[in-house]
Amino acid sequence: MNNDTKTTPEQNGGDYIIQLKGLTKQYGTKTVVKDINLDIKRGDFVTFLGPSGCGKTTTLRMIAGFEIPTEGKVLFDGKDIAKLPPHKRPVNTVFQKYALFPHLNVFNNIAFGLKLKKIPVVYTKPNGEAAEKQIKLRDFLVNPDTGSPDFSIAAKDYFSYKEQGYVKLCKIKKTVNKMTKKGRVKKLVNGYRYYIDEKVRRALKIVGLSDYETRDVNSLSGGQQQRVAIARAIVNEPKVLLLDEPLGALDLKMRQEMQIELKEMHKTLGITFIYVTHDQEEALTMSDVVVVMKDGVICQEGTPIDIYNEPTTAYVADFIGESNILDGTMIDDYKVNIVGVEFECVDAGFGQNKPVDIVIRPEDIEVTVKEKGQLAGIIKSSTFRGVHYEMVCECNGYEFTIHSTIESPVGKEVGLRVSPENIQIMNKEHVDNTVKAKFTSNSTMEIFGGVYDFNPEKLFENCIYDSENDILKINGEEYTLKGEEATVNFAFTDIDMTDDEYAAPLAGNVESMIYKGKNYLVDIKTDDNNHVYADTEYLWDKGDRVGIKIDTDKFGLVECAMLARKEDGNV
Amino acid sequence: MFKKFMAAPYAVFMTLFVLLPLALVLVFAFIDASDGSFDMLANFKELAKEDALGKVVKNSLVAGLSTSVICLLLGYPIAYYLNKPEFNKKGVMIGLFLAPMWVNFLLRMMATKAVFNVIGVKMGMGTVIFGLSYEFLPFMIMPLYTTIQKIDKCYIEGASDLGATPSRAFWKVTVPLSMPGILSGLTMVMIPSITTFAVTEIMSNGKMMLLGDFIYSLKADSLNMAAAISFVLLIFMAISMVISNKYNKDGDGASKGGGLW
Repeated sequence: MNNDTKTTPEQNGGDYIIQLKGLTKQYGTKTVVKDINLDIKRGDFVTFLGPSGCGKTTTLRMIAGFEIPTEGKVLFDGKDIAKLPPHKRPVNTVFQKYALFPHLNVFNNIAFGLKLKKIPVVYTKPNGEAAEKQIKLRDFLVNPDTGSPDFSIAAKDYFSYKEQGYVKLCKIKKTVNKMTKKGRVKKLVNGYRYYIDEKVRRALKIVGLSDYETRDVNSLSGGQQQRVAIARAIVNEPKVLLLDEPLGALDLKMRQEMQIELKEMHKTLGITFIYVTHDQEEALTMSDVVVVMKDGVICQEGTPIDIYNEPTTAYVADFIGESNILDGTMIDDYKVNIVGVEFECVDAGFGQNKPVDIVIRPEDIEVTVKEKGQLAGIIKSSTFRGVHYEMVCECNGYEFTIHSTIESPVGKEVGLRVSPENIQIMNKEHVDNTVKAKFTSNSTMEIFGGVYDFNPEKLFENCIYDSENDILKINGEEYTLKGEEATVNFAFTDIDMTDDEYAAPLAGNVESMIYKGKNYLVDIKTDDNNHVYADTEYLWDKGDRVGIKIDTDKFGLVECAMLARKEDGNV
Repeated sequence: MFKKFMAAPYAVFMTLFVLLPLALVLVFAFIDASDGSFDMLANFKELAKEDALGKVVKNSLVAGLSTSVICLLLGYPIAYYLNKPEFNKKGVMIGLFLAPMWVNFLLRMMATKAVFNVIGVKMGMGTVIFGLSYEFLPFMIMPLYTTIQKIDKCYIEGASDLGATPSRAFWKVTVPLSMPGILSGLTMVMIPSITTFAVTEIMSNGKMMLLGDFIYSLKADSLNMAAAISFVLLIFMAISMVISNKYNKDGDGASKGGGLW
């Protein structure tokens, strides 16, 4: 290596050990991960959180090297490793299904990586030139006085140490307390075996499975297998440990125990953990940074406290913890209208009379007597949940979920109070459906592959349509709509969902739902991966196949190239 | 209850054509042909006196072992690559590799012999082994194919994650995990190839004999001796079954990679 270009890893990546730059993954035409940009700090515990199919595992697999990104970079210490095969990457993975080798026992599973380990060493060629090569761990030189491998000599002139009486690791003899079927037995082994034995034992100790070396991996319980999988990864001393839903297969009690242990391990090892989970509680408990993902993009990243207290979208709020998500209107700075009542809040800069999403956490609502509340309501239900009561209170037709340690009896009229700082206000991701439509005749248009009838007189201003002779006049001029395109919009409430997909021109699957106190905002994904948002009072299930009926009379015209062209022509 | 009756025809068939003949083999093997008395060793002593038998056994072992090894060496890479989706689109390739099984094996052997005659190859042990390998290769590919198919990709990913190059991962993970398939392939090739008779007859111009040919040559007058040889073969088969079953029993078959047959 040339001295000019030689820099320490810390300088290359700065504070960041892994940086994802414009990371994209496509399978055929399906984009699973879309243009992800993320910087991961050295030593952090970072969690990718999202529902299944959100691209979190694919992102992790691109860092591990099992998937090659379609576009973008994976920088490790500032160096792009996006195209490197997994065995050349300085990361190790704990798999969801453990992936312990069934033909090897616990010891050999953990030693697997160590036995393959190679160390890059520098040496001087006979002609005096500096050169680098990879040597196996067993051939690594050991100081005969101390008897343990000194890895710092790898960066010096490797072969000159041979002349100083250094010997190969496999050539020295050492005694170990080897675990056999009969218990621990003293055994004379070579230095290489001794080194591996020590490492494996230390790793097993970290995961709390000392004395399990000779056990068959198939005879272990799920939790123990998981520990072996972790030991197998950390024994290689990776700079980054990747964990792909490692606790998914464990039962609740075991999972909670492992969460605490993983967090402890993260502290002791001091390396970067990248963790993937769909369990929001797990993410909040363990992480330094949570990255919430949906549909292959990052919705929000931040500390667990930030994510919980200040979600930036209704989706994140809904995904993280329980919350009351409501539609509101920002009347002015520090003033917001929720369910018809004006509340004070701490947010400003949204503009006037702007529709917004509101999040109020159930524990932030205070129940008082009717007269003292900002909102008046009736308790509809109350459930004891251990530490608190979960109560549902109906105010102005909207339901609020409340967590409180004091129970209010069902049917009681109460007042609700929310302090201004507990009202989280967010810009709406979508205020309406804005879609591209293609006219197929003067009274039909195609939206995402479904053909809808519409009334041109309602869509265009100053329009007269003679349906019998199929003559369309706008501003007195005659037009033929067929083949033209336009952008139209319609409100969430203009959609009628039907469970008979053939009763509507367009069908899709319910992708997600958010309860808005009274209605559900449903995200419907059409077969061409387009999204239509509907407001409905009925509860649908994720994955339900629905037909999408649209009240086309309510269509608003956003833009129409045909009319614009005409205007240009007139000018 | 109805389900039980469904199995009845098979049970009858099994008893008549499998269990009964097996029992007969056992009985005949231990009956002295000369006086019809029960004698544990009479037939086996007789066998030992047979001069030709030593050569037949030697030929059988050489032919059987080399056929198994050749089939394994040819079959493993085939089975391995057939499991790669890019090589085996919609199972077409596996169909092609198993296609020779659709042609009557006598026809195949005759045709092979004709080809050898045309190019002037001397018929003998070499051609017999060629014929046997040709005949039994699909029996090696099938169990290997299913075993390799069942190996979870996560093991290979795990190995490469731990620093194994693709070839390392293959030798350290794929091969050990396909051991049940290798063993069952070996038994499925070895046993039939030493007991077959027509292939040797055709491919060596009747010059060479394997155990199968030997039994065939004994004809009806020495049924007891034939039974004795069959009995020895049965023991071989039982041993190989025990070995491959042992591999399958360690851990569940699914994670170990494929059951036997």
